[in-house]
Amino acid sequence: MGKIKKVYIVAGILLLAGIGLLVNASRDMSTYSTFKEAANTEISVKIVGQLSKDKEIFYNPVEDPNYFSFYMRDADGMENKVVMLAKKPQDFELSEQIVLTGQMKGEEFLASDMLMKCPSKYKDEEIYIKSEQSASL
Amino acid sequence: MMQPTVYIGEELFYGQIGHFFVVLSFVSSLLGAIAYLWNRKSVEHQDARWLRIGRYAFLIHSVSIFVVIGLIFHLMLNNASEYYVWQHVSEDLDMKYIFSAFWEGQEGSFLLWMFWHIVLGLILLWKERKFEAQVMGVLCVVQLILTTMILGIYFMDGETVFKLGSSPFTLLRNEMDAPIFASVDYLSNIEGNGLNPLLQNYWMTIHPPTLFLGFASVTVPFLYMMAGTMTGKQSEWLKPVLPWALFCGAILGIGILMGAAWAYEALSFGGYWAWDPVENMSLVPWILIVAGIHTNLISRSTGYSVKSTALFYWGAFVMILYSTFLTRSGVLGDTSAHAFTEMGLENQLIILVLSFTIWGLYYIVKNWKKMPSPPEEEQTWSREFWMFIGSLVLLFSAVLITFTTSIPVYNKLFDLWGYLTDKDYTHMHRTSPLDVISHYNKYQLWIAIFIAFISVIAILMRYKRPLGKDSVKKVLQFAAISLVISGVLHLITYEAMNVKAWQYHVLLFSGFFAIVSQGTYFFTFARRNLKLAGSTISHIGFGLMVLGIIASGLGKQFISTNPFAQRGLLDGQSEEDLGKNITLLKGVPMFMSGYEVTYTKDSLDGVNREYEVNFKKKDSLGNVIEEFNLNPNVLYDKSFTKIAASNPATRHYITRDIFTHIDALPPEEINIEFAREKEDTLSWEPYTGFVGDTIFTKNNFAIVENIDFKTAHPDYESQEGDLVMGMTLKFSNATKDSSWQAFPFIVIREGVVYNFPYQVNELGLKIRMKEESLQHIINQSATTKAYQITLPVNGSGTVEKYKVELLSVDQEKNHPNYAPEPKDIVIHARLKITDTETGKSGISNPLYVIRGNNIFTVNDPIPELGLLCRFYHLDPDKEEMKLSFTSQPIEEAKLFFEVAENSARSDFIVLQAILFPGINLFWLGSLMMMLGMFVGMYIRIKK
Repeated sequence: MGKIKKVYIVAGILLLAGIGLLVNASRDMSTYSTFKEAANTEISVKIVGQLSKDKEIFYNPVEDPNYFSFYMRDADGMENKVVMLAKKPQDFELSEQIVLTGQMKGEEFLASDMLMKCPSKYKDEEIYIKSEQSASL
Repeated sequence: MMQPTVYIGEELFYGQIGHFFVVLSFVSSLLGAIAYLWNRKSVEHQDARWLRIGRYAFLIHSVSIFVVIGLIFHLMLNNASEYYVWQHVSEDLDMKYIFSAFWEGQEGSFLLWMFWHIVLGLILLWKERKFEAQVMGVLCVVQLILTTMILGIYFMDGETVFKLGSSPFTLLRNEMDAPIFASVDYLSNIEGNGLNPLLQNYWMTIHPPTLFLGFASVTVPFLYMMAGTMTGKQSEWLKPVLPWALFCGAILGIGILMGAAWAYEALSFGGYWAWDPVENMSLVPWILIVAGIHTNLISRSTGYSVKSTALFYWGAFVMILYSTFLTRSGVLGDTSAHAFTEMGLENQLIILVLSFTIWGLYYIVKNWKKMPSPPEEEQTWSREFWMFIGSLVLLFSAVLITFTTSIPVYNKLFDLWGYLTDKDYTHMHRTSPLDVISHYNKYQLWIAIFIAFISVIAILMRYKRPLGKDSVKKVLQFAAISLVISGVLHLITYEAMNVKAWQYHVLLFSGFFAIVSQGTYFFTFARRNLKLAGSTISHIGFGLMVLGIIASGLGKQFISTNPFAQRGLLDGQSEEDLGKNITLLKGVPMFMSGYEVTYTKDSLDGVNREYEVNFKKKDSLGNVIEEFNLNPNVLYDKSFTKIAASNPATRHYITRDIFTHIDALPPEEINIEFAREKEDTLSWEPYTGFVGDTIFTKNNFAIVENIDFKTAHPDYESQEGDLVMGMTLKFSNATKDSSWQAFPFIVIREGVVYNFPYQVNELGLKIRMKEESLQHIINQSATTKAYQITLPVNGSGTVEKYKVELLSVDQEKNHPNYAPEPKDIVIHARLKITDTETGKSGISNPLYVIRGNNIFTVNDPIPELGLLCRFYHLDPDKEEMKLSFTSQPIEEAKLFFEVAENSARSDFIVLQAILFPGINLFWLGSLMMMLGMFVGMYIRIKK
């Protein structure tokens, strides 16, 4: 029986280490949660939902440029107030879908990160109709 | 039978030529592939006729693609609005962005990629003799499949339509469903979308071509790998491929860095790397190419690692294709901020990835046993062993990055599995980690540490045999000295670099160790070995890059914080939760992190609004020790209805950068709809008054100070014939010490009234003048006094205290109160009237208009003198004209205006300012990595 090559031993160790790392990395993957679940946990969660367009969207930069609040409806249809300690993103009102990362603080959901999905962000399918040269100064 | 609609002005000819050349490029690449690969039995006995056909086929393919590209530019430049590509340009697009507009779309970027394949292919055709048939043959297959992406052929199967590729020559009316295409002259009524303002900068001009050259050059090592395995020349391909792989590593690396620089310099990401899927998937092929370069070097020097070289080059190319699939199929929609949207090519993209994955793997597996490797195994303490380990670490890095980036693909696979088994697997869906950046960083940190140490061990070893006794001693001494020097540097710098966690201590130390060891080794042990120059530059660059990442990453500091402005609504706020933005009121200095910051002014040029933000640093005595201005700007979209992009401004120092960016603006500045909404909520209260009066509004009071007839408002451009009337009001408030002047005004141009309200931000009020204020000078009342005078043409005269001079008579029709009709005959008199008592004078331009059988007069005021002139009779025989004018002192004018006291202030910006220390180390180090590869390539080509 020949001696097993060193390279194979090293490769074996690295392979095991690699699998271990991937398993470890996959633990970081998250699933979408809901406001109800968020209320029962201390850790951060991701919630996907839609902006409640009929409720107040509050942002008053003169008072505080880092406070922004709105209401969102999650996948279960539950509506909750969301607070972000950041500026209000542009075109927020147009968002079709919002993915929030954060946790409940009392009655409010404190979001640390937000990803918005907007219609036609990169490809504008509108056709521009030439406007008459309007008499503007 | 129904006649097809003929649309006015369409030039379908170019599109037809374009389609022809697309198809020709497809057919010629097919012919090239067949001709080149048909007769591939052996390198030595190739059929010259097949080779010749292959060459001509590739040349025809090249010319076809160039013609296609040329035609697209022709369509874009010549306003061919019937074509879909024209949507990327618009009449107002600056021509310097025409290239950006070309590769903005999917078709254009595919063509750019193919263009570089052709350029590289032509060089291969010129230089490569031995493997020409295989290299060019496989390249033709690559081009064949890429050409299908722009083929734009439709197949009908009953009701379902299959689309093969998306042609750049599709017509707008076929691509979109809109009512405008019902009219035959739709062409005269549409305009192009133009280029997204975010993409209108020079980065968009230079980044895509460089990155795609990098993408295209990844193909070349794959071609050589295929050529080697196809012909059974298992190790001969390893020599010619090496310079190509080095070129590829350098140029792809530069392309990625340009993307990082773009993100940092021109986009508001607040950093150069965000582990976005699109970024990751361009990095992974680069990592694999770099790993391949290392095993390729091993194979050249020792004969080991031939198989791994083949696998790395195959893997790099497959990852380029996988990256193309991810970014262009729409799969990343949920996780990436800048992937393309889908365009119906998903299945074709999957075929692209799978075909080369399987084809490449087939030849590697088939030749696995035949690939040479020396019978005895590597020495543990040899250079090749440690270089190989380093390559495996790089593979780890690539696998880990790909693993997490592919989460959306796993979800799709679960969907597919569920579809096939008729079960619902949506509960298996996963999404990206909660904190993406730290997820990637925590693994890649260790990769970087291993690479730094392993690269030093490898450089200290020798190929094939262990070091001799004497050398061991020397090397150990050298290593010990390096460790000590690095340790000292580490101790000196770690506090300044904000290194606290032990992992970062290890990383920092490893960075220093790599730089110190590689540098001193090159200048002591390997002085004459030029071959090591490239390697040394790259590895020192790697160490510097690590230092730069630590310094800028850990030292990144939001300096736009103001601890007094926090709301404290939420309990348990940590310091990190403190806001990253600061609100700057115009002209009001704010203190943040040692700087006194003032938003001083803003100016509008086209759709670009630029803000000036002044930074001052003062010493303890209050003397200004440093002062500079930064000019972040925002771009409005072409219809001027909302902000399309916000561009940062950065102050560069050698040791650090200060990065600023407008994060938010008053709502009415962002979007015209908000402005309208705000306007609707204003509660206007009417007031009247004479000069000198005091009026009392709900919360304030004001004195009417003045009436004037000139204005210098920035939004108003004065034009000949405008009638301007403005007023000055001084507002005060019982609770405030100061007072504020307001200057609303109105303008009459060609019979239309334009209102320019004035906002007093400090009081949150807005004031606008009403048209009635003009009544005083246009309509005369009973108190007016009338004068009449008859003047000879080109003469002058006097009536009471007024001296009247006729300056000129012409047919000028431009007058604020006159709307011309085509057949009108207009006589325009230009008069100068001087009040001889006060010495004041003014110009009046009354008109005498003959319309058919009627005579009209258009009166013209001299507001300064309170005069209104009328030109009422013209006697051509006597060559004289009759004028009348009335006078009414302007002080007696009654002013009408409205005040709204609920107009929130609109003179602020929300600024984000970030300090990046040591960022230049990152740029320097990463550029050195790429430079080292160019040096290596140059040395190997020259040999």
